[in-house]
Amino acid sequence: MSKNHHHDHAHDHTPIIIQEKPGYYEILEISVRELLIEKGLIGADEVRKQIELLDSRSPALGSKLVVKAWLEPEFRSRLLSNGNAAAEEMGITIYDNTEFTVLEDTEKLHYVIVCTLCSCYPRPILGLPPDWYKSKEYRSRTVREPRAVLAEFGTLIPDDVEVLVQDSTASQRYMVLPLRPSGTESFSEEELEALVTRDTMIGVSIPKINQN
Amino acid sequence: MVTVEHNPALFKEGDVVRVDEKFPIGHYRVPMYLRGKTVTIVKNLGRHINPELEAFGKNAGDETWYYQVRILQKLLWPDYTGEDCDSLEIEVFEPWLKSIKENEHE
Amino acid sequence: MSSENLVKHLPNDIGGTGCSGDKVNIFERDLYPWEKRCHALLDVLDYHKIVNTEEKRRGTENIGTEMAGKLSYYEKWIVSASNLLLQKGLLTPDAIAQKTKEVAARYNVIL
Repeated sequence: MSKNHHHDHAHDHTPIIIQEKPGYYEILEISVRELLIEKGLIGADEVRKQIELLDSRSPALGSKLVVKAWLEPEFRSRLLSNGNAAAEEMGITIYDNTEFTVLEDTEKLHYVIVCTLCSCYPRPILGLPPDWYKSKEYRSRTVREPRAVLAEFGTLIPDDVEVLVQDSTASQRYMVLPLRPSGTESFSEEELEALVTRDTMIGVSIPKINQN
Repeated sequence: MVTVEHNPALFKEGDVVRVDEKFPIGHYRVPMYLRGKTVTIVKNLGRHINPELEAFGKNAGDETWYYQVRILQKLLWPDYTGEDCDSLEIEVFEPWLKSIKENEHE
Repeated sequence: MSSENLVKHLPNDIGGTGCSGDKVNIFERDLYPWEKRCHALLDVLDYHKIVNTEEKRRGTENIGTEMAGKLSYYEKWIVSASNLLLQKGLLTPDAIAQKTKEVAARYNVIL
């Protein structure tokens, strides 16, 4: 699957190519997909179209929402009160029938998001989650020792700031609206977006001006 | 907010409730660590299909209220090593929540 | 662990069970193409409510603790989907057997 083409056009052209010899589970995946298509239960092009949709989502979309919220107080209010509507306003469809909820950090409150039961994640906004988000270690430890887990990501939250763990278990999908760092008053939108990494929107990191 | 006159929400923001201590088999969405804990309702999230039924192919109907609830970490984990102010929020469906009398509050 | 706990405590319910010494393995990688196809397939199955997302979650738990521990994330997804499609009568065990044999032969793989 080529990653360097853009996805705004309507025709589908993502080929399903097998490069190496498939293992057992890949053979099972191919078999199930082909059987479902042969039986007419799914369309021949639906999986390919969904891959294009998945590929069109990445943390860059979340960064745009965050920076717009930093710059426009009215958008910030709309984003916090109805994430789906604010995202759709920016042309981002919430394709998976979930409710997109944005959690706002303050000087006295820091959010971190985890899904202990599976891997709930705001995929329409941030794309597919990293492996560590789905890992046993992250899922089993973050609810019980969030500060220790955050420290492993290099994030130290002051003692007088509340760490609030959001365990995502149902139809809500969460994203953190991090604090805008001081010293960024003269930054352009692009410079601000570069500070808002995926990890700052999961809450395991905070935006920093000097990212080495 | 959805309002359903014949099936009003049992709880409102600020209510202190207990998460039921019960043990479904097959499928559930209330983690073990939360069972039997006293939590505070933060927000009514509307109505949604009960996931314990959705997991067995129910795609419509049986919507139930669900809520964002909050608990202090030190009440959740007796050996919690973080700060006293730290807390946790999680979504819980109404059939898992029981009202408790005022004098039972912690 | 008593055997009844294997029934009551689902394998995916791991919040709070981890040890501090089990550090989070923080690294980045792209999904394998088949993993992304598997993800997309389950999305499509949910759109049509052939297998909804909650059924898929149940399917990744109901494979038993040993499989839940040994299979990777998307390996669990495709096994879950397969089992659910069989349970619903949409696929048959033999159809899967025939098709996997055919696909394996296509790639010169012996199952």
